[in-house]
Amino acid sequence: MDLQANKPKAREAMAAHEELLQLVGFHVGGEEFVIDILRVQEIIRTQQLTRVPNSPDCMEGVMNLRGKIIPVIGLRKRFGLEEAAPDKQNRIVVVEIQGAVLGFVVDAVSEVLRIPAGSVEPPPRISLVEREYVAGVGKVGDRLLILLDADRLMSGAEQEVIGTAAAQA
Amino acid sequence: MSDDALQDPSLIQEFLVESEELLQRMDQDLVALEATPSDAELLNRIFRALHTIKGTSGFLGFEPVIRLSHRAEDVLNALRKGEVQLTHPMMDALLSARDYLGKMMQDIRAGGLKEYELGALLRNLEAAQTVGQPSPSLGQLLVKQEVITPAALDAVLAEQSSSAEPRKLGQMLVDKGLASPAEVGDALVRQKEIAQQHAAVPTMRVDAAKLDDLINLIGELVLERNRLLQLSKDSSSKKVGTNELSSALAQSSARLSFITEELQSAGLKTRMVPIETVFRRFPRLVRDVSGSLQKEVDLSLFGQDTELDKTMVELVGDPLVHLVRNSLDHGVEMPEVREKSGKPRRGSIRLEARQEGDQIVISIRDDGAGMDPARIGRKAVDKGLVTAERLRGLSAREILDFIFLPGFSTAEKTTDLSGRGVGMDVVRTNLKKLNGSVEIDSHLGQGTTVKLRLPLTLAILPVLLVQVEKDVYALPLRSVAETAQINPKNVHQVEGSEVLCLRGETLPLLRLDQLFPAGANSRKLTPAGGALQGGGDESQKIVILGVADKRFALLVDQLLGQESTVIKPLGAFLHGCSSLAGATISGDGQVRLVLDPAGLLENLRSAAPMVQKASA
Repeated sequence: MDLQANKPKAREAMAAHEELLQLVGFHVGGEEFVIDILRVQEIIRTQQLTRVPNSPDCMEGVMNLRGKIIPVIGLRKRFGLEEAAPDKQNRIVVVEIQGAVLGFVVDAVSEVLRIPAGSVEPPPRISLVEREYVAGVGKVGDRLLILLDADRLMSGAEQEVIGTAAAQA
Repeated sequence: MSDDALQDPSLIQEFLVESEELLQRMDQDLVALEATPSDAELLNRIFRALHTIKGTSGFLGFEPVIRLSHRAEDVLNALRKGEVQLTHPMMDALLSARDYLGKMMQDIRAGGLKEYELGALLRNLEAAQTVGQPSPSLGQLLVKQEVITPAALDAVLAEQSSSAEPRKLGQMLVDKGLASPAEVGDALVRQKEIAQQHAAVPTMRVDAAKLDDLINLIGELVLERNRLLQLSKDSSSKKVGTNELSSALAQSSARLSFITEELQSAGLKTRMVPIETVFRRFPRLVRDVSGSLQKEVDLSLFGQDTELDKTMVELVGDPLVHLVRNSLDHGVEMPEVREKSGKPRRGSIRLEARQEGDQIVISIRDDGAGMDPARIGRKAVDKGLVTAERLRGLSAREILDFIFLPGFSTAEKTTDLSGRGVGMDVVRTNLKKLNGSVEIDSHLGQGTTVKLRLPLTLAILPVLLVQVEKDVYALPLRSVAETAQINPKNVHQVEGSEVLCLRGETLPLLRLDQLFPAGANSRKLTPAGGALQGGGDESQKIVILGVADKRFALLVDQLLGQESTVIKPLGAFLHGCSSLAGATISGDGQVRLVLDPAGLLENLRSAAPMVQKASA
């Protein structure tokens, strides 16, 4: 109990050298998500995608990123949100996940944020997004940021790919 | 030598045949290992071979063989664990150990092992194992950097080797105040760097003339770029008129395309090596193997200077060895049998490589017994690979195809050489990896011809572009037998699946638009169902694809023409998607998916029984 009461004070004291998280913020379906900046290779404008037949639902297609073929995932679809009409603000966030480079379509990219690691709390039980890929929830002022765990972002979908392949075989 | 009870002559005979084969293989492998020390598979193979020899000779009680192979095995084990790195003296020791083992085998064959003076060789092997570290020792480095004197080093080393619990040299030097921790640390880092420099980088020799061609073309490319830059400058400063500009641009891009094509082929040529490097090993192999089988065989080689991509040359070696061994073992008969059937006593095997269009064809032809479709068919039925009723409907060629199935072997008696039932299956799998194919043609009593077809290079893929609704797909041109327009009336339903009758031939029909429905992702349902839409009299476009000797038709909306492209992998995430071979990037930067005809065929096969079940 004591510890909890002391926490804000301790945090303040440590603020000078507390670990800062550098995050990239983006919007998907009205929510603001953040992801570790070190995981983001680049952010590009949306481009023409090539549809891949029999791929998982959330997969928008593949794109050409300077000669490399990159699968592109629609985060709205991945999160089970309604699809929106294409917008000029749409971006593709290119992330490396377990050796594979993937693109994620987001509604808009907001900014790069620095928040202290201590201000991130474990995800609440009920959340818009399935909890598995939510690493935590951060509060900056009155904004609520959902911190995504890049490594687990595709875990379910990957099983889906395997499932698709198995169904075909 | 052990007592005679164990020395069953047939066991020894078997041991000799096996060991001699293993040693031969080891000879090539060791030399190959010297060129690519990092090849773990090669290393393992040599290790396993030695281990087998050691094990069997232990059973038979060939003491010197055990001692020598055991020591050599130790060296290889250290290599496997990465404790030491391969050096020239180590290789010399290993090779002479191999030669010595070979000599022992000869002696056993001639009557029995003699006395051997193995001391020096064993010492060499031991020395190779310990001295084989490529990077200079820490002490040497420190001496070189003049941190310590050679005398001090010797003293410390002597102490280290005499003490009961040897400590690390660096630690001892620091403790004695001979070197500072920083100096030792630096030396350790330096040692690591040197070790990394020693790590082998795969290299290849390139004909100087080929490089000159490449450089010349690059020169031309630079000139053309300058021209384009000038053109762009002129156009932005409005010095030239639109007409002039467009004609200059057309000229320039035509030249650029020409140079790029030349550059592409010149670049690929640097990777080409004559197939002679693979063929070279066969005269010895045929001589030795036929000797041990007591067969008389002449080998003739043709087209040794046919050039092939380097990776291809490396990968095609094993399948070829397998096929030649098969010919020796199962193909060519014993001399007496040959004479009885009116053939010359000496059998012949002809190994030939030649270029056919954009393919390399390697054929292995023997004048041996040939394959008996009836026997293969029976075997296939026995193994439950096919039912007797179905077998009756198959052509001789289709029956021969069974030998490519895993686990199939017709050899009544499996020998050490072949007939283990893994051979042809592996050959086909390896060739598939290379985008190649294998065909077999055999006449009973006259011999067998196996043909391997390989693309010239793995890098460039000519494709046919087809359109289905809004999507454009690429089909590898080498699988495209023909394109045609068909009348929908020629499409029939057979047992729930569609077939196409084309000039008397009945082909399974696959509809790309049903396999890959547009908007499948957005879950829009396309009207599925058999009947062709749109009047029924409109002609439809099809592509006839051939995978090995299976042919099937693919219904598409449009044929867009052909293109030479570079195929790229789809990446790990999409690895599970069958029917896709990869992707290419078109002129406008769009990604196009390349279909895999073999995968499509699988689709067809897996779909057919399901449909049958449903209709039953």
